Amino acid sequence: MTRKHDVTPGTLALMILTTLDVLGPLHGYGIARRIEETSGNRLALNYGTLYPALVKLEQEGSIAAEWRQSENNRRAKYYSMTPAGRKQLAREKREWLETADLIAAFLAPGREAS
Amino acid sequence: MRLLRGALARIVGMFDRDRAEADLREEFESHVEMETAENIRRGMEAGEARRQAMLAAGGLAQAAEAVRDRRGLPAIERLVADLGYVLRTLARNRGFTAVVVVTLALGMGANTAIFSVVRGVLLRPLPHQEGDRLVYLRHSTDLPGGANVNFSVPEIRELREGVPSLGGIAEFSTWSMIHHAEEGATRVSVALVTGNYFEVMGLAALHGRVTRPSDDGRGADPVMVLAHDFWMSRFGGDPGIVGERVRLDGRWAEVIGVLQPAPFFPNRVEGLLNMVNSDHHLSASMVEDRTHRMTEVVARLAPGATVERARAEVEAVHARLRESHPEAYEPAARFGVAVIPFREAMGERARMTLWLLMAAAAFVFVIAAANVTNLTLMRGVRREHELVIRAALGAGARRLRRLLLIENLALTLIGAALGVALASGGVGLLAVFAARFTTRADEIRLDGAVLGFTLALAVTLALLLSFAARLPGEDRLATRMAAGVRRMTGGRRGQRLQRGLVVVQVAVSVVLLAGAGLLTRTMIGLANVDTGLVAEEVLTMQVPLLAPEDLLLRPETDGAAKETYERMRAEIAALPGVTAVGLGSTMPLRRSDIAFEVALESRPPAMGEVVPRAEFRTAGPEFFRAAGIPLLQGREFTSADRRDSGFVVIANQELVDRYFPGEDPIGKRIAWTGDVLRFTPFSGDWRTIVGVVGNTRDGGPDADLRPVLYLPFAQELAIAGGLVIRTEGDAAALVPAATRIVRDLAPTTPIENVMTVTQYRARTLAPQRVNAGLLSSFGILALIIVAVGIAGVLAFSVSARTNEIGIRMSLGADPGRVRRMILREGGSLLALGLLLGLGGALLGARLISGLLFGVPPTDTVTFLGVAALMVAIGLGACWVPAHRASRIDPGVTLRAQ
Repeated sequence: MTRKHDVTPGTLALMILTTLDVLGPLHGYGIARRIEETSGNRLALNYGTLYPALVKLEQEGSIAAEWRQSENNRRAKYYSMTPAGRKQLAREKREWLETADLIAAFLAPGREAS
Repeated sequence: MRLLRGALARIVGMFDRDRAEADLREEFESHVEMETAENIRRGMEAGEARRQAMLAAGGLAQAAEAVRDRRGLPAIERLVADLGYVLRTLARNRGFTAVVVVTLALGMGANTAIFSVVRGVLLRPLPHQEGDRLVYLRHSTDLPGGANVNFSVPEIRELREGVPSLGGIAEFSTWSMIHHAEEGATRVSVALVTGNYFEVMGLAALHGRVTRPSDDGRGADPVMVLAHDFWMSRFGGDPGIVGERVRLDGRWAEVIGVLQPAPFFPNRVEGLLNMVNSDHHLSASMVEDRTHRMTEVVARLAPGATVERARAEVEAVHARLRESHPEAYEPAARFGVAVIPFREAMGERARMTLWLLMAAAAFVFVIAAANVTNLTLMRGVRREHELVIRAALGAGARRLRRLLLIENLALTLIGAALGVALASGGVGLLAVFAARFTTRADEIRLDGAVLGFTLALAVTLALLLSFAARLPGEDRLATRMAAGVRRMTGGRRGQRLQRGLVVVQVAVSVVLLAGAGLLTRTMIGLANVDTGLVAEEVLTMQVPLLAPEDLLLRPETDGAAKETYERMRAEIAALPGVTAVGLGSTMPLRRSDIAFEVALESRPPAMGEVVPRAEFRTAGPEFFRAAGIPLLQGREFTSADRRDSGFVVIANQELVDRYFPGEDPIGKRIAWTGDVLRFTPFSGDWRTIVGVVGNTRDGGPDADLRPVLYLPFAQELAIAGGLVIRTEGDAAALVPAATRIVRDLAPTTPIENVMTVTQYRARTLAPQRVNAGLLSSFGILALIIVAVGIAGVLAFSVSARTNEIGIRMSLGADPGRVRRMILREGGSLLALGLLLGLGGALLGARLISGLLFGVPPTDTVTFLGVAALMVAIGLGACWVPAHRASRIDPGVTLRAQ
């Protein structure tokens, strides 16, 4: 069995925003599932991690929440991107890629950051 | 922006708890359901599917807590919860809360009020622009009355040229003039200033303009700048006054502006005039004569210059002057110039009194704080059980400390708020009191700095209180829990601290009481000083028909004035009940500012000896009888002593003692002399001494006696025009009738200082009385607090030792013995505190010896009295708990075990 990682602080918001960007409005369960799947089940997400992050994003206006019927007729709270969230996503994505590139350059000597 | 929005949402979140909570529960439920459904789809049995779903999701409660923390502001919410708890407990312990809050309110109120005065008078930056760069120059001699002899214009000229460290030197001299208006004439205090005065002082006009160098000199138009207070009180704050003309003495001056509010020095003035308003100030002698010293000097330090450098440069110039003009600087007088920062000069008279009061207030605070510390320590021991249980239930040491801190903050802040309320009531009175020492009394108020000071006191005390208390540490928790019983004594350390605090309280109170005692005795001493008057029930008033300018430059106006005075005297003397009316320049117990050197015919001045001086006064027939000044030798003046008869004088006993020791002065001749005489309308003719009168304490009961020469009112110019009226009955009752007569005869002249000598005396004693009163009330306050403190600590000790005392009594100790035991416990604290306090009081008394009169700083009566009072109050406070201890029933206490 692969070792499960905890989510690095700060990256969860990016994951949530990406998920919503790709899949459209989604409930908390769906987001958790999707993130776990995307990580190849290497990440473990529980309520205590996920929901405070959702609350924070909602408070900051990056996502909006709304109660709706789910595909199999259950009531669920759906989160969706807001324009502000889209902007945040773009910015954070860019920053992450730059950081990743920079770190990669440090870890692989001889290669310079592009 | 994003952060701001987040923060806002959290604040809103705090108030939307219930809805959010329901929402969260539902969301979690839907999450679990979805996961359960998924698990069933994967083939699990329904119950197991749900169980797995809940497991996977992690602890529901913790998650909810995490979301909750995220949603609101947990720190603030906990604070609100703690505060609620604290206020509930305080409300339950009403007695404790009331004692602590009242004690603190008194302590902090006293400090807030006194600090507001200290700040306003001594600490607040001057309203003058860069006021810290201003210096005051004081020219002084060692001669009596030489503390401030002012400068002559030629001296100032030399300073201007020779002191580069002083960037600007402004001249001013205070003067009084009669302001004639339709409503009547009033005397106004004014300052005659050079054109650069306002620029040097860093003061600007609120309306109109201030004077400038072009207003100097003989050709300028007379102009006046109104002081802010005078503008408000006299002209109702109407800016339209600018450009109007006012009549001062006989001259019209244009009001060119209103000055920004600013304190003046050394005295209040109502207006500032350019020099051309006074002929005297432009006269040749004023401008050219080296010894015609009438001008005061303020200067602004040049950029980069320091007070020290200015001081050195001024001294160099002055040394040069002393050398080149030996005739103007008598060596025996030891002339010198001090350069004093202006703010210091302004606070000079108030400094000692104010710091004394501040120290007294601080003492009261120390005593109050010690008491409150003791009370909270005792309460802490009583609630140790509660704290142990809280700790056992998971409250960490930090959380408990926080709770204590919040509780103590609540107490001290409520105390501070009440204290500020008390202080705000007293500040007005204190400002009136301070106005006697300083022109900055208007600046006394409860401003931000004062409130900050009080807040700092409250917070500091709360911190101290919170960390003086002990908490059940985690290591000891188990033992405490196991002990289970309520412990009432606290630790050894706690008791030592409590006793130490009692000793400190007693010691500090003794110091305070000794100070109060010394000042009270000073005040009583001053009030009992023999004034030299046989009876004080005398009405006085002053009607200056002639302005100083008339006296100096228009002596021809004197004749008519004298006739008017004589008519006033005669008409008032005819009033029913009046037994004697005298005319004179100086009212009884006032000091005259006019003093000159005198020459004695019988004894020519020796070289190097200090030249004898005497005060100049005039007195008409009946003056001494009316004033109650006893005639000791010779005769009084009569109506025969006129301008055309021989020059005669009456001396006071002090003059005779000093200048005619062991001789009979009657018939000896004496004359005014000295350089200054040339600038006055008085002659240096020989005058024969025809009488000697008793000394009077002029200028206050603590003032030194000075030689005085009285000249016949009729033989000299009618200066000041004072009337002394003696009656058979109540002198004050005569005021309406006497003023009506004066008003009729001199409708345009101000009538000043209408008061009885008794009233005047009460006024001169007022500062000392207020000093003594304030310090005594602080002392009494301290005593009450200390009594409560001692009684409280002993009572606590008794209740802690109930078992022990019960055992002792069952073993045969009688109530008297138990009582003595407790009294001994309190008495030893009292004795130690008393000893320390008396030592401190001896040191403190030396510091305030400048404020004492008639009592030595080591006054035995005061110290014994204070010790006796402290012992009486202290033992009284011990008696209550001792008595309670002796009433302990051993049967009851032992059964209770």
